[in-house]
Amino acid sequence: MLKVEHLTKRFGELVAVDDLSFHVLPGQIFGIAGPNGAGKSTVYNLISGHYDYQGTIRFNGREITGLPPHRIARIGIARTFQTPQTFPSLTVERSVGVGSRFGSTKGFRHGHVNQIIRFMGLRSCRRMMSGALNLLDKKKLMIGAALASRPRLLMLDEPMAGSNPVEIRELMELIRRINQEMGITVVIIEHFMKVLTELADHLLILESGRQICAGPPDEVTRDPEVVNCYLGDSYAESA
Amino acid sequence: MPWLEFLDVLISGLTNGAVYALMAVGLTLIYGVSKAFNFAYGSFYSLGGYLAWIILVPLGLWGGYATVFVLAVPLLLGIGFLTEKAVVAPLRARADWEIKVMMLTLGLALCLDNLYQVVFGPRMKSLPAIVEGSLELGGVIVSNQNLGIFFLSIGGMLSFRWLLNHSRVGMAVRAVAQNPQGARIVGIPEKTIFAATFAISTAMVGAGGILLTQKYFVSPTGGWDILVKSWVITAFGGMGSIQGALYAAFILGLMEAFVGYWFGMSWVLFAMFGLLLGTLVVRPQGLMGKWG
Repeated sequence: MLKVEHLTKRFGELVAVDDLSFHVLPGQIFGIAGPNGAGKSTVYNLISGHYDYQGTIRFNGREITGLPPHRIARIGIARTFQTPQTFPSLTVERSVGVGSRFGSTKGFRHGHVNQIIRFMGLRSCRRMMSGALNLLDKKKLMIGAALASRPRLLMLDEPMAGSNPVEIRELMELIRRINQEMGITVVIIEHFMKVLTELADHLLILESGRQICAGPPDEVTRDPEVVNCYLGDSYAESA
Repeated sequence: MPWLEFLDVLISGLTNGAVYALMAVGLTLIYGVSKAFNFAYGSFYSLGGYLAWIILVPLGLWGGYATVFVLAVPLLLGIGFLTEKAVVAPLRARADWEIKVMMLTLGLALCLDNLYQVVFGPRMKSLPAIVEGSLELGGVIVSNQNLGIFFLSIGGMLSFRWLLNHSRVGMAVRAVAQNPQGARIVGIPEKTIFAATFAISTAMVGAGGILLTQKYFVSPTGGWDILVKSWVITAFGGMGSIQGALYAAFILGLMEAFVGYWFGMSWVLFAMFGLLLGTLVVRPQGLMGKWG
């Protein structure tokens, strides 16, 4: 579904992403992890068209290299940010409507917007201004607006950041349902390894912009280089 | 102050306030959405006036001001769109682009004003009144021209409000103004929206020019006064706040009328800046602006 080949991004002297290649299969939940500054969010910014880069990115066989962010959103790749990106003075309903109206090639459908609001558990606050929501609901709204654009691939950037254990459980369940009930392929960047090992079918670990390991979660978390660079001995022992 | 004169000045202030609202909201819109300072704004005011003059005087087209609006507003939209694409958009990716846009639009304003002087000459042009005659309301004689300006400005504001709240473009404009990054990732073409915003604001100030120049004449440099007033209103209302600009326009329109009546028109700008400075000392974010 998503094929990234020899992706390289330099910011001056700094090589943020270094000759990275990976392949996301349809229906997968694909996890990306790594220490701070490993280049995880930069990879998202490159895929979603925020920066230019070297290398090629293909989505469903079509090369998307060089397309601007709004075109990438319209061909079926939606993304979220670590900090919720909502429209503070638009209601929840209108915010989801923005995704449906602009991101989807099928155009605005009121029924679809209602369906997304129900799916995300935001029905009770549909008439509230987005800026008045709590952090969890803002995150759900950002994901909801992304889903309203009818994506085939959803890229989530640290969706659990700042959440308590109960909220993490709720978000994990939501992501699983998005993948299974809506049939949307999910790529997720996360620092909580437990979340990734429970959710993901495949893990990619980055360090200094390079891949250090990739594979099924149970294999990756036992890899000595991953333990050494990222997880630490205590994680390996507890696992 | 006699009651009838008070009403007369009040109506004049409301009329000015309504046109200033139309024009200042356009300027606020550009700043609120794209954070760009457009110093050529006043020159587009003059452009509106000159377009009306061309249509009504040398061409003498049938339909009067209805024809002026039908022809001039789409033209102003197109000119605004192309100006943004040609002048502002190429600078946006560069460092300190805001300063560069200020300087370039200032240069554009000077070029346009000189172009008007070359094409139309330095003398002021007068336009026929939008409506002739007058009405007597409770003993006060109100010119139909003032009433026409007032109601058309309010109509312009209501159209703008409808556009912003109920159209596809309006929803995109609001989304980009509130969160450009969030707007990009849900498929909104941010660059096109910047240009559309510039186009809408150009049409608004141009329409203001059509309405006001038939009362005060058209001249090559007549837009500078409007630019200054629009900026005062924008800063007084709160940078980027459309509601703030609306309140500020009516407050300053009324103040202009009353200061002009009591002290003479030469004190109007002095009073406007005095009110602006006083407000900014007490409330630096303006009437309805926000910090950050």
